[in-house]
Amino acid sequence: MARIDDDIHDADSTQRAFTLVEVPPETVPADLAVVTPPSGEKRRRGDVFRPGPGPMVQFQGVIKRYDGDVRGLDGVSVSIAAGEFVFLVGQSGSGKSTFIRLCIRELRATSGHVIIGGRDLGELRRSKVPYLRRAIGCVFQDFRLLPDRTASENVAYALQVTGHSRQEVNRRVPEILALVGLDGKGDRLPRELSGGEQQRVSIARALVNQPRLLIADEPTGNLDPDTSQGIMDLLTRINRTGTTVLVATHDRDTVDRMQQRVIALHKGRIVRDAEGGYNEDPGDTGEIA
Amino acid sequence: MRLGMFFREALRSIRANAAISVAATVTALIAVFILGAFIPSFMYVRSAVSAQTSKVDVDVYISDTASVKQVNVLRDKIGTLKTDGQVAEFTYVSKDDALRLMRERLRDPSVLDQLPSNPLPAKFNIQPTDPANANAIVAAVKDDAALDPTEGIVYPQTTADRLLTAAKFVQWAGFALIGILLVAAVLLIGNTIRLSIFARRREVEVMRLVGATNWFIRWPFMIEGVICGLVGAVVAVAMLWGIKVGVVDAWASGADTALTKTGSAGEAIAFPLLTVVLVGAGALLGAVGSGITLRRFLRI
Ligand SMILES: Nc1ncnc2c1ncn2[C@@H]1O[C@H](COP(=O)(O)OP(=O)(O)OP(=O)(O)O)[C@@H](O)[C@H]1O
Ligand SMILES: [Mg+2]
Repeated sequence: MARIDDDIHDADSTQRAFTLVEVPPETVPADLAVVTPPSGEKRRRGDVFRPGPGPMVQFQGVIKRYDGDVRGLDGVSVSIAAGEFVFLVGQSGSGKSTFIRLCIRELRATSGHVIIGGRDLGELRRSKVPYLRRAIGCVFQDFRLLPDRTASENVAYALQVTGHSRQEVNRRVPEILALVGLDGKGDRLPRELSGGEQQRVSIARALVNQPRLLIADEPTGNLDPDTSQGIMDLLTRINRTGTTVLVATHDRDTVDRMQQRVIALHKGRIVRDAEGGYNEDPGDTGEIA
Repeated sequence: MRLGMFFREALRSIRANAAISVAATVTALIAVFILGAFIPSFMYVRSAVSAQTSKVDVDVYISDTASVKQVNVLRDKIGTLKTDGQVAEFTYVSKDDALRLMRERLRDPSVLDQLPSNPLPAKFNIQPTDPANANAIVAAVKDDAALDPTEGIVYPQTTADRLLTAAKFVQWAGFALIGILLVAAVLLIGNTIRLSIFARRREVEVMRLVGATNWFIRWPFMIEGVICGLVGAVVAVAMLWGIKVGVVDAWASGADTALTKTGSAGEAIAFPLLTVVLVGAGALLGAVGSGITLRRFLRI
């Protein structure tokens, strides 16, 4: 399937894919120093969220009900070890975004425990939530870019939040934008970028702090297959540096090609959790119509 | 360094929301202007009233038949009241002094020459430290043997009471009004800034989601509030200065000088001090207004 898609693509998107996949080696050193490593930052003790040993993500009987008794998640128990690469699949409305939003405590579980890096988010004080979020890079399904800021400024904001100096911001932002194939577009506002380009700004922002856990909600939803492939390659390389990667997606081709652990959700419940493709059993409820 | 970044963020926010920033600035301007017009008026009235109350004095008339010893006893009594702190000042006015004063006050002093003898009694003129002490002073001396049986003690009781009531009223009404003004101004500015934040609640939400602490988000908004408050206050002060120079000072110099000579004019606040107070108030209004308003939006 992917082959055919490749063949019908026009020169422009091939060009884009090229810049994305084959970034010049001087921009990206071999062993994925994705961006310049953070220099010694002065932080108060206790302000950094450090994942402990044990699973990176753990759900224990998590139920999330929205208003009006809508079940976002209906009793999910799962464990994702540090360093894993996991796909979260399921049809629209199956609870993928709910799962992700629970991980960054954008939502709180109605019951059960969401444990990230050994820390129960139900017990995390509100004032500590920002530090949790800095340790997690999150690509949002709807991008969540700051509308009045350029692509560069959006990425820079994530660095400013973690207390990086202006020089460091100025150095790292172009690097990371080049990495996602957006060099030269740093001065554009989100509304001046295509959907796929906005998505890549969102990815760049998630990567820029070198998170221990990278969560991406439909990171390739608006991208053509070549660019999707480029993003997936990037995520794989980030995963190889030890970062745990969790990707929610509809993208059957990508999941099939990657042959990683797949957690399938259906109506808020886990219906399959195995290595392999998107849907090995054609009668599986995890399928998209 | 951080402060520089927050400051740049605040300026960016003001630029991005120019209309709302102007609205917040104008709100601060109006609030500070009203405050700036009110404070001197209040101070003026208050000091005018207290100037009047300070002139409430007690005259204790001495009988012509009183002996020197009796007068000295009375003098000691009043002296004790002075050491107690109830009396600020007291003077002895002899019969001759009284006559001379009367002569000075009369338009045609020659009538006094017709008198066979000096009918005016001697007296102690007592200035209470506080008009509220007048009653106590009267009580302390009213049964003294040296007192003149017909004149006795004379003091403007009703005037004193009325002035006291007026002074208290002016004071409390003034404080209440200033309080109401400040609260109204904070709410108004808060409301304007709420517009600004409401327009950007998605933005604040995103900031939270990428790990910004509440203070990291709050600082630029508060600086934005302070800038709007300061600019509004400075413009208001400039307008007040114009009004002071162009209207009040001109009126005061052209007005009946006798009014001020007789001491019935009060003292208003010095303009530099007023400027400091108002500019401070403007900055505080902006900071508090945006600080309070932000709280609701930082709960994600
Ligand atoms: N804020 C909300 N209020 C009420 N119901 C919600 C809310 N967000 C999600 N839901 C419901 O919860 C269920 C799970 O939604 P969720 O967004 O997790 O699905 P999803 O798997 O991410 O879907 P998609 O693939 O379309 O993004 C759906 O039935 C949805 O309608
Ligand atoms: Mg979703």
